[in-house]
Amino acid sequence: MTDEAILRVKDLRTYFNTDEGVVKAVDGVSFELHKGETLGIVGESGSGKSVTNLSIMNMIPNPPGKIVGGEVLFGERDLLKMPLREIREIRGNKISMIFQDPMTSLNPFLRISTQMMETIILHQGLDKKAAKAKAIEMLALAGIPAPQKRIDCYPHQFSGGMRQRVMIAMSLSCNPEILIADEPTSALDVTIQAQILDLMKDLTARLGTAVILITHSLGVVAGTCDTLCVMYAGRVVERGDTEDIFASPKHPYTRGLIKSVPRLDIASEGRLSSIRGQPPNVIDLPECCPFYPRCDQAMDVCKKKYPERRDFGNDHSAACWLYSEAK
Amino acid sequence: MKFPKVRSLRIGGKADAELNEFAQSMKPVSLWADAWRRLRKNKMALAGLFIVAFYVAAVLLAPILPIYHYEDQVISHANLPPSLRPAGEVMLETRVAYMRKMMKAESRTSFNAKEEADIEAMKADIKVNPDHKRVYVMGTDNLGRDLLSRTIYGGRISIMIGLVGTITATLVGILLGSIAGYTGGKIDNFIMRFVDILYGLPYMLVVIIMMAIFGKNVINLFVAIALVSWLTLARVVRGQVMSLKNAEFIEAARSMGASPARIVFRHLTPNTLGVIVVFATLLVPDFIMSESFLSFLGLGVSAPLASWGSLVSEGTATMELYPWQLLVPAISMTLFLFAMNFLGDGLRDALDPQSKNRA
Repeated sequence: MTDEAILRVKDLRTYFNTDEGVVKAVDGVSFELHKGETLGIVGESGSGKSVTNLSIMNMIPNPPGKIVGGEVLFGERDLLKMPLREIREIRGNKISMIFQDPMTSLNPFLRISTQMMETIILHQGLDKKAAKAKAIEMLALAGIPAPQKRIDCYPHQFSGGMRQRVMIAMSLSCNPEILIADEPTSALDVTIQAQILDLMKDLTARLGTAVILITHSLGVVAGTCDTLCVMYAGRVVERGDTEDIFASPKHPYTRGLIKSVPRLDIASEGRLSSIRGQPPNVIDLPECCPFYPRCDQAMDVCKKKYPERRDFGNDHSAACWLYSEAK
Repeated sequence: MKFPKVRSLRIGGKADAELNEFAQSMKPVSLWADAWRRLRKNKMALAGLFIVAFYVAAVLLAPILPIYHYEDQVISHANLPPSLRPAGEVMLETRVAYMRKMMKAESRTSFNAKEEADIEAMKADIKVNPDHKRVYVMGTDNLGRDLLSRTIYGGRISIMIGLVGTITATLVGILLGSIAGYTGGKIDNFIMRFVDILYGLPYMLVVIIMMAIFGKNVINLFVAIALVSWLTLARVVRGQVMSLKNAEFIEAARSMGASPARIVFRHLTPNTLGVIVVFATLLVPDFIMSESFLSFLGLGVSAPLASWGSLVSEGTATMELYPWQLLVPAISMTLFLFAMNFLGDGLRDALDPQSKNRA
């Protein structure tokens, strides 16, 4: 890992205008991604993980969504201010995505070869023959047996795990600098999940691709990510090296998440603990810590003001009043 | 469907080929091949397909088929009934039978001199004139033209109108419908309100007015029918595109950097094609019906050209005396329309993924 950040997200805000009010799906998210690094984004459903990443690609459906503030710096350039024509050059080429459900993310009417070659021809300017050779090579890398025969098959002839392998092969076919994987394993069989994660880890390490891994499984994060962002109600509540966070989680929410994962190395003491309550509705949240109703350590100040981010060294930081001197 | 187990490519030094012994049999099966397999199991649809194919072949090959030209008229052969015998014999028989009828009506017991002379003249003519060797399998019309030939050539125009209408409807409908559905917002509003306005106009009236203004010829008929034909299809396509444009694979295509045009025409339209094909097969009989209706009203093709509509229209005038002049074109047309509808129904079942596991 070098210190050179290839992607810097600064104070990103994405709001959705709905009939009920403004949904602040992402409200001031910042993080950096370094070359070759794997960044995990964890959080409950609706915490803004996926919207963050769609915003990075500038793919928020508008209307109703709108990116109202912040910057996404890819190298020196702000992806949010880029004209559509130029951002298309980047999508799939420099930054590519893997989606949650491999059953629906491949076009059922086109052959795998057509879909893979489309991307390769578009971004690498290869002719058809070379593109096909490249696609076969990528499928082989992704562990598809007999790729030269399977490449002409249609998506419905592949199982879920195989389709996700195809998606991985496709998304890595242009040697992107960043791979965004939006819950790549949550629609898969448990037995396949580990295989897919290993494959992603292996391939991205080999190609030097930085990964943003969105998941709600801390188990997945512990095994694959270098750094970690914990999101809650559209904000990053804790951020740091994976090891630091697992060793000493600062935010009560992170602690709750970690405690709610079953551990093999610690003898179980009866019931697994869980975080009580539901994640908040992010419409018209008051200016407070959105976690305080569910927090064991809530204080008066939590209800009044959103806490400031506190740094614990080694890039580990958390936003919680517990650590603020100005309580 | 069986999938090979996912496993590592190197187990105990075995070669890839050995390991993947069971992975080799996977043949690409497109959704179209699959649909065709299902269509073949549907007897009615298959029968429809054969009938349609037969009609299309007959109509395309009309100039080289062993039939008379549709304009050829032999006045003395007017109103002959269908028969496999040479026209001369049939003519003689028909005329003599008619004369007998006249004779009875005038309460005579034998032919008068003029009738005798006529019969003799006919007999003499049959011997020398090769025209009388003709065979009219489907009879003749009131000008002595072969009804079979006229029906086939009429089918040429009717089917062509059906196809031209359908093709224009499909192209324009897909283009405007998918643009409206994909872009949404103002453009969608503009296109769909335009469609609504055209919908509001009484279709037949528009066609009739157009034919009246621009004159009665086949090209104008094509234009008039094509002009209003794409409306429903545009709506159907728009609905399909709207329901598909938020599908994950479209998002995936966008995330791969595909341009909007590419997404619409490469990723969205193929997915709507199933619906479009079914709709189009049901449109063909629709257009043939409209054309027949117009021809029946005398606004369609004009003589000596024929279409099924104009033939039926002519046939109705004489249906009491010479019923085959109505029945031949009417049955031909009905059979084709039935076949087309069965084919469309079959296609709908074949292309519908819900019915995939049905026998």
